Amino acid sequence: MRRISRLRSEARLGWALVSPALGVIALIAIFPLGWTFWESLHLHELRMPWLGQPFVGLANYAEIAKDPRFWAALGHTVFFTVVSISLELLIGLFLALAMNRVFRGRGFVRAAVLVPWAIPTVVAALLWRFIFESQGGIANALLVEAGILNQPMVWFIETATAWVPVILADVWKTTPFVALLLLAGLQNIDLSLYEAAAVDGANAWWQLRHITLPLLKPAILVTLIFRTLDGFRVFDLIYVLTGGGPGTSTEPVALYTFNALLQNLRFGYGSALSVVIFAITFGLALLYVKGLGVRLGGDEA
Amino acid sequence: MKIRWQNWLFGGALVVLMMFTLFPFYWAIVASLTPEAALFREPSLWPTHIIFDHYRALFDERDFITPIRNSLIVAGTTTFFCLIVGTLAAYALARLEFRGKAAIMAFILAVTMFPQISIVSPLYLLLRALHLIDTYPGLIMPYMTFAMPLTVWVLTGSIRQIPKDLEEAAHVDGASRRQSFTKILLPLAVPSLATTGILTFIYCWNEFLFALSFTLGPERQTVPVAIALFRGQYQVPWGQILAAAVVATAPVAVMVLVFQRRIVQGLTAGAVKG
Amino acid sequence: MGSRDGALAQGRLYPRGKLVETPPRSRRSVVRLVTLSRLSTALALASVFGACARTSNKNETVLTFSGSALGAEGTLVQKQLKRFMVLNPGIRVELQRTPDDASQRHQLYVQWLNARVGNPSILQLDVVWTPEFAAAGWVLPLSRYGPSSGEFFPATIEANTWAGKLYALPWFADVGLLYRRTDLISGEPRTLEEMVASARGAMSRRGGPRYGIVWQGARYEGLITGFVEYLGAFGGRIIDDKGEVVVNRPEAVRALEFMRDELYGSHVAPLDVLTWHEEEARFAFQNGNAAFMRNWPYPVAAMSDTAQSKVAGKFAVSPMPKSGTAPAGHSTAALGGAQLAINAYSEHPNAAYKLIAYLTAPEQMLERAQAVGQYPTRPALYDDPRLKTAIAIPLDDARRAIESATPRPVTPIYTELSEILQIELHRALVRQAEPRDALNSAAARINTLIDRTGMRKLMSQTSRGQ
Repeated sequence: MRRISRLRSEARLGWALVSPALGVIALIAIFPLGWTFWESLHLHELRMPWLGQPFVGLANYAEIAKDPRFWAALGHTVFFTVVSISLELLIGLFLALAMNRVFRGRGFVRAAVLVPWAIPTVVAALLWRFIFESQGGIANALLVEAGILNQPMVWFIETATAWVPVILADVWKTTPFVALLLLAGLQNIDLSLYEAAAVDGANAWWQLRHITLPLLKPAILVTLIFRTLDGFRVFDLIYVLTGGGPGTSTEPVALYTFNALLQNLRFGYGSALSVVIFAITFGLALLYVKGLGVRLGGDEA
Repeated sequence: MKIRWQNWLFGGALVVLMMFTLFPFYWAIVASLTPEAALFREPSLWPTHIIFDHYRALFDERDFITPIRNSLIVAGTTTFFCLIVGTLAAYALARLEFRGKAAIMAFILAVTMFPQISIVSPLYLLLRALHLIDTYPGLIMPYMTFAMPLTVWVLTGSIRQIPKDLEEAAHVDGASRRQSFTKILLPLAVPSLATTGILTFIYCWNEFLFALSFTLGPERQTVPVAIALFRGQYQVPWGQILAAAVVATAPVAVMVLVFQRRIVQGLTAGAVKG
Repeated sequence: MGSRDGALAQGRLYPRGKLVETPPRSRRSVVRLVTLSRLSTALALASVFGACARTSNKNETVLTFSGSALGAEGTLVQKQLKRFMVLNPGIRVELQRTPDDASQRHQLYVQWLNARVGNPSILQLDVVWTPEFAAAGWVLPLSRYGPSSGEFFPATIEANTWAGKLYALPWFADVGLLYRRTDLISGEPRTLEEMVASARGAMSRRGGPRYGIVWQGARYEGLITGFVEYLGAFGGRIIDDKGEVVVNRPEAVRALEFMRDELYGSHVAPLDVLTWHEEEARFAFQNGNAAFMRNWPYPVAAMSDTAQSKVAGKFAVSPMPKSGTAPAGHSTAALGGAQLAINAYSEHPNAAYKLIAYLTAPEQMLERAQAVGQYPTRPALYDDPRLKTAIAIPLDDARRAIESATPRPVTPIYTELSEILQIELHRALVRQAEPRDALNSAAARINTLIDRTGMRKLMSQTSRGQ
């Protein structure tokens, strides 16, 4: 009897504690999400109001499936996300370990590391565009002087070279975020484990592989989920740096959705694109959770 | 016994990374002190001809103080409420047993899975219906909604990793749930709180699309919107934009410097080992 | 056990099995947190209730004007609005700043108009937006106010007419111009081929400029404006008078091939232009690195400033020339500029029209030319001697350029059409596709677009421009 009532009171308390968060989110998010789903099932061309807003079922989704530009954009997005996340995790882990250490100037390092994350995305993109400008850009000037290039290269007119500034800019800007999250995860690891391992003669590399990384799994999970979400929604950065060009070879799905929604005023089609992006990222998040073996509803083993 | 070459390698890699991290910002500062015409001529690492016109224009011609004030209010309030609400939710999700926890975490996350541009139009309609356009709450509430997932997920993960035996011991000693929460758990969660606080603040500070769409005039517009308004139809005033970016980064950098010690535990706990 | 209890009682804990102190700082910060939370909740609630609508005097009509308000333009607009308010005592006008960046302003307008918001009462539209806004029912037709459309340049009126009705008044005109260095090029080139030859000559001279000609070739709307000029020079069009898509006709292919040849054949244009917008091209010319530049009129002011420009006093402008090898070709300038329209949801359309008519009146236009150097859209003003000092280039050249201006296709689906064309043109220019194939693909996709949106009938009836 007592156990059941304790469980019930615990459930009541639990719901009471999550309700402020749920309340704010529900108030703000339910209407827009519902509206997006609703719109995706209708034809809604703002420029042609005489067509009305007829219900068309899954016609928008069928159009997406046949749209080569969408699949190309999806490919670009996946490529961008995978490359960026890999680089960011590696460098971020290194930085997190570094920031965790004691050394002179660590305060400065911690503050300096956050500077890229603190700059507005559009300004950061403008900066990197500036750096990779063919004539006035410092990147070309340095590369030519170092003898790596014979003459200034026009980075943005070849697909392969256009990705370089894009990925560099994203890694530059977002690694601090990854580093901070991993650093927070490092704080939860019991220091005595390291001491015990050191006493047993394990070197730093072994400690990293067998203590740090496994215990960092929850932090890595959160980092992966949020970075993937951000990667799939990348917009400002690529819009300013390449505009999706050359042609459409660096166009990500979010830019394509922007075009559909706010340039071409096709609310029905654009909403369907958004739902597809949602479905993909949701699926990926589920994959991460299962793959990393972290139980969401229960406690850590 | 220290292995010196490992330390040298570590230090070297760190220096290289620091240069990579700070170089564009250094470049921004140099460019903001250069007359615009010289910017596109020949790039140079050192400022050849220093002028302060861009900075002066920021505060004389363009009144950059108001957007900074707005950004501070919005970012500060959002961070504040997000931490409180998020911590409560995280405690429940990490420490209490009840059904639906996974669903709650999924729901909280679902919002951030839509591209912002798709959310903007209906959110505008909603905020308009609530008469919140061009107000502080009109920005704070959407920001909270989008910053909450990170806060909740990070804090939940952190709290789960804090061993339960301390609270259990306190419970055995007669402490109430609230006391064990505030006196034991919370202090141990300070690194995660500080981290998510910093990240939330920066997110709000730099958010552009919502700020552009939900504010109408200079009284409520935030820093990114103000910077976007510098642009003419064709003209891009590089010098002023970069000067604004430098100025806008300063408060954030200060805040981080102040809080950076809290993002690591270890020494700040005043440990007495034994 | 006992010592642990004692330690707990004294506020010391056992994280990680070690005896540590709860830092007093952490405890204090938690207390501060709670107090601050109560204060902030109060503040937030207060601000919610304070967010009430602005009250307005019931006797006044309040209009909101949304337009370019940056720098000198801003000062001018405010001056003119004040004068208008003095002349019309019952009307108050407020200025609402919107970003000048075209796609940001467009996005805001779409958002507001989709929500049927009546403010801003007056919208500043880019030249290609009018049909789109008209078809969506977002701006009012002006016929009931009897605007004197004959007093404006015909091309500007064409661009603002949809389905036979005028929806906006042209405020100022932007036209594509060819800038040339007078110290390097002897006279105005009469044909494109002459232009390329002079450019090569200038480049090959010792101490000559790095580039022959610079233009805006990034994948954006500016590329279309440049292409339209080469297109007209060879006698081509995007859509003909019958509403047929003709952008893949031989003339158009030749125009695109000419542009490509400038990049890869004669090398008068650097590959960099394929990433450039207006500003990068301006800086290249302004720093003395180019013999020719294609750009709008706005750089004239900056380039005449001896403090920052290396070419002050050493350049002249003229319309883009035609091609010497195409009999149907003619000198063409892309038409840009701004128009003023009335928000269809505004509560005070009559007052709004008064304001639009005032701002587009000759005196105000002249004042704008004098203050900001923007070209008026009234031909009569070009006979006015006062305009001579206002516009930095000879009046005749300016008038010629505007008269040779052709609007881009006037249709609500222009943005989608333009995007298709931008992609294909850019592909051809970066050599991802051949010009003929690119233009064929563009024509096919534009036709699909027209059919999908049911625009075919409307386009054949009201087709104008290129």
